[in-house]
Amino acid sequence: MQLRYVFTELRTGLRRNLSMHLAVILTLFVSLSLAGIGILVQREATVARDSLGDELKILVNLCTDDDPSHSPNCASGEVTADQQQRIEKEIDDSDEVASFSFQSKEEGYQRAYDQAKRSNTAAAFEGPDPVVTVERWPAAYWVTLKTPERADGIISALEGLDGVSVIKDQRKALGQIFGIMTVLKYGSWIGAGFLLFAALLQVTNTIRLAALARRREIGIMRLVGASTLYIALPFLLESLVAAVVGVALAAGVLAAFQHWGVDQALAQHVEFLPWVDWGDYTQALIGLFPPGIVILGPALTLIPTLLLTRKYVKV
Amino acid sequence: MAPHRPSRTVLSVIRFEKVTKRYPGPGRPALDQVTLDIDKGEFVYLVGTSGSGKSTALRLVLRELRPTSGRVYVAGKEINRMAGWKVPRLRRQIGTVFQDFRLLPNKTVGENVAFAQQVIGKSRREIGKVVPETLELVGLKDKADRMPDELSGGEQQRVAIARAFVNRPMILIADEPTGNLDPATSVGIMNLLGDINATGTTVVMATHDHGIVDQFTKRVIELDHGLVVRDEASGSYGFQH
Repeated sequence: MQLRYVFTELRTGLRRNLSMHLAVILTLFVSLSLAGIGILVQREATVARDSLGDELKILVNLCTDDDPSHSPNCASGEVTADQQQRIEKEIDDSDEVASFSFQSKEEGYQRAYDQAKRSNTAAAFEGPDPVVTVERWPAAYWVTLKTPERADGIISALEGLDGVSVIKDQRKALGQIFGIMTVLKYGSWIGAGFLLFAALLQVTNTIRLAALARRREIGIMRLVGASTLYIALPFLLESLVAAVVGVALAAGVLAAFQHWGVDQALAQHVEFLPWVDWGDYTQALIGLFPPGIVILGPALTLIPTLLLTRKYVKV
Repeated sequence: MAPHRPSRTVLSVIRFEKVTKRYPGPGRPALDQVTLDIDKGEFVYLVGTSGSGKSTALRLVLRELRPTSGRVYVAGKEINRMAGWKVPRLRRQIGTVFQDFRLLPNKTVGENVAFAQQVIGKSRREIGKVVPETLELVGLKDKADRMPDELSGGEQQRVAIARAFVNRPMILIADEPTGNLDPATSVGIMNLLGDINATGTTVVMATHDHGIVDQFTKRVIELDHGLVVRDEASGSYGFQH
């Protein structure tokens, strides 16, 4: 297939419809940026939930030797097997509890270490004489509640038990945080949805006008036996160029958000939350579900172009 | 009115077998049970008043339309059942010339002719060889760099013929090629079409031009309200009893 004509028509088409293509690029850029932020917020919620639990969970830390909480429940030192058994029975018997799981010292330590690495605060875990060690890390029970409103019974039952160091009840704080994240996530996606729809309409108009402007050439191409693909190729390439530029701009905005917004600002000032990292940024670009912007951008321009050109350049 | 000429299918490049074409809405069919054969190398006039079915017949050959019933064969292939993706290949065997020339105003004469080769993937080398040859054939060798609006009507039609012939098609369809031209210029176009026919290309020309048909005597197929009313091996425009 000789592509010289196709690339000539591509250049002509981009030049002829420059303002329309710029409009598509701008709309696509803003909508993909919003979609990408929505994906990052969703991933942040997942990361936070994995690390801190969610508003349905409470964390029951068990006593260690020289427990830093200085709780009277830890007077005898590290939690014993009998004490642990009693605590587990109390949790299991509670009608406020949906499920629970045990987290060993090693598991808890590793989890905390991973979170610290994400937020660049792992210094306490590292070095020849680290402050935080496996031995000092408490084993714990993650208790999942049936409803976030009913937990007072189990909390008061556990508070007085020997072997229980601290009960971390973050329902209100996490509830608010996850609530804000949900609003941000859906807000971004709704905004992105409207703008992506606008981009779709602009692509449709651009194709329609381009086909109208090229109707003489298209008519002759059909008559002399050019294939549908060959006729449609300049249109497809124009859409692809718009998509690539839009995606590149949105990727740049998301990278700036990740670097200045998350790494330099949020992660430094809100240390109790683990934050999304460059791996999550990559997922926002090329993830499959939800589709990243590298998939979303071209799909939104190429699919309507393919459908419309079939209509306008039908042999 | 029965056609005079018996059909011979051995060398047929175009064959209609009881072809009927109805457009949506009330009224007579555009073509009504039309059966005809056109052999390789023939020059055929398709005559008739407006609405007689000439353009419909040509569009059926180009597979721009499908018959309501009956069969259309081009180069031995039944084209009404042809898959859409094969239609471009069919059309590469058919060159088309129109009354309004249909040149691309922003391309030179040479570029207009080369366009027909570019869009079917011919190499630059091939195009560089064939286009000048074709322009020479139509008498426009020295006008390759002119724009269409710098040419006369006759010259523009020659460019259109060059574009239609540059791929050396099996069939050349001309839909009123002299419709916008004066008699003297029309004669020049007819001579050119005759030269093309002499190379073995089948020419089918729809026309209202009495003078041309009577002057350049060829086979005449006359349509009237979708029916073939005359098919003479060497006919004039008007019906002769």
